[in-house]
Amino acid sequence: MSAPLFKYGLFGDEASLLVAFAIGIGFGFFLERAGFGSARKLVAQFYLTDLAVFKVMFTAIVTAMLGLTYLAWMGALDLSLVYLVPTHWAAQVVGGLLLGAGFVIGGYCPGTSLAAMATGRVDGLVYVLGILAGTMSFAALFPVLRGLYLAGDAGAKTLPQLFHLPHGLVVFAVVLMALGGFYGAGVIEGRSRAGEERG
Amino acid sequence: MATTIPHRAQPYTNPYLAGIGLGLVLLAAFVTMGRGLGASGAFSAFVAWVANGVAPGYVARSEYLSPYIGDGSSHPLKAWLVFEVVGVFAGALLSGLLAGRVKRTIEKGPRVSNGVRLSLAFAGGMLMAIGADLARGCTSGQALTGGALLNAGSWAFMMCVFGGAYAVAWFLRREWT
Amino acid sequence: MRWRWGSLSVNQKLGVGALGLGFVALFAQPGRGSVVTLDVKELATIIDTEGDHVTVGELAGWIVAGRSDYRLIDLRTDEEYAAYHIPNAENVTLTGLPDAPLERNEKIVLYSEGGIHGAQAWMLMRARGYASTYTLKGGLDQWKEDVLFPALAENATPAERARFERAAARARFFGGSPRSGAGVAIKALPDMPKVEAPAVPAGGAPAAPKKKKEGC
Repeated sequence: MSAPLFKYGLFGDEASLLVAFAIGIGFGFFLERAGFGSARKLVAQFYLTDLAVFKVMFTAIVTAMLGLTYLAWMGALDLSLVYLVPTHWAAQVVGGLLLGAGFVIGGYCPGTSLAAMATGRVDGLVYVLGILAGTMSFAALFPVLRGLYLAGDAGAKTLPQLFHLPHGLVVFAVVLMALGGFYGAGVIEGRSRAGEERG
Repeated sequence: MATTIPHRAQPYTNPYLAGIGLGLVLLAAFVTMGRGLGASGAFSAFVAWVANGVAPGYVARSEYLSPYIGDGSSHPLKAWLVFEVVGVFAGALLSGLLAGRVKRTIEKGPRVSNGVRLSLAFAGGMLMAIGADLARGCTSGQALTGGALLNAGSWAFMMCVFGGAYAVAWFLRREWT
Repeated sequence: MRWRWGSLSVNQKLGVGALGLGFVALFAQPGRGSVVTLDVKELATIIDTEGDHVTVGELAGWIVAGRSDYRLIDLRTDEEYAAYHIPNAENVTLTGLPDAPLERNEKIVLYSEGGIHGAQAWMLMRARGYASTYTLKGGLDQWKEDVLFPALAENATPAERARFERAAARARFFGGSPRSGAGVAIKALPDMPKVEAPAVPAGGAPAAPKKKKEGC
């Protein structure tokens, strides 16, 4: 009846760390299952030869989104108690572009680099060291980046709130978009494969 | 690692089935904790902890790192994301072992040397960390978690990640293809 | 129909399933608190187990520790708020409460002069689905009594004295003044501290979070 369980005080801080570990195991397991411990598999997304990144990510988003919607609809989960990272337009646009560039240059993102490291990828390990160096740099540059970090503050905001649309309509639109995308991904992959065969 | 086990690595799972698995893990995080997954925050906590050991004064003055230390009442690494990230490592190792995919190797295209690839991995990691710190999250904390929550900023972020990646992909084709 | 379903690939079946679930979700109304359910027994239990309030001592501890995981709401009038308010408090009058930009996943602490308005506002907030709302027990009166101007009776035991010393240090932190000795008998409280006097972190912004726990 009352999810999120932690926010209703059904277990404490110590137990939440065990939950964190268990959830992490699930997360890492499926990342590796999907092939996300391999930089070549990940980066193929951006050379249009294998769109697994898009497929896995959007399937996960759709699954969790539908689960949340139905649980909240049944009254089993209070959606308003789930933490939303506040929207800061400028910081998130610039951060997203940098992150996307770093993805192709380095071959991973933070979560997948751990999966790569765990499965013996030396470049994954070096990438993790790069993340640590980057975090240090960000902390050192924070006084300069502070303005950008805080720019475009819109508070915690969802797409239904932003566009003044019913939640269910946005959910349906995302499902349609994802299914359309999956179909398109298949077409693109087919075309790249045909291109390779032609030489 | 030196002993080569004569059995082939299994192929990867159907992306849609892996995606559903990932989505259910994410849903479990929402239901139990009221929060999603993450990764980059754990790295920030780790960096804050190391820096605090080396130069506590610097960390105390740092507006970005000091919140990860807090008032000192609890250990900086005793944080939800840190435990989760340790789990990610363990889970990936488990899956890799079960599928015979754990192998010491460097992922790269055929036209690039190991040295160049590792330098680029380091540079990419740095750039990614700066982007993630700026955006308050990475592909897991923003794109995946915020995507499922229909968080407005996360969707803008996700579009920009794909945009940024496709924009530089052509220039880096020698690294991968 | 049956044989056709069987002829679909796994991916196509998943796609049809997602489409169906997505379509039904069109009619879902998981509204963020637009549906009001008031469990009278649950509320009564919360009140009975004192789960509806925070004490002034707890609140003072949060402010000293620089916690920012809560919103402190001053329900009094603008003038009263301008004259004095607890550090980090935001001014939202009782009538303005329904339109205040408060999120249901925030920890909200309400206070007024005494305990009554805070408690009434607590009921209103709970009814609107703000599950982690609390009142400040005893309101601002209690805050003055315990935090700003703690008193020490003349015949205090050593344990009481030790406790008073800690309270006195806390009172000075908030710009108040501890009372001890003969003055205690006098009921009137000393002057209120100036609003800016309490040690609010520079910039007037809420204190830095004690520990960043959310986010990626």
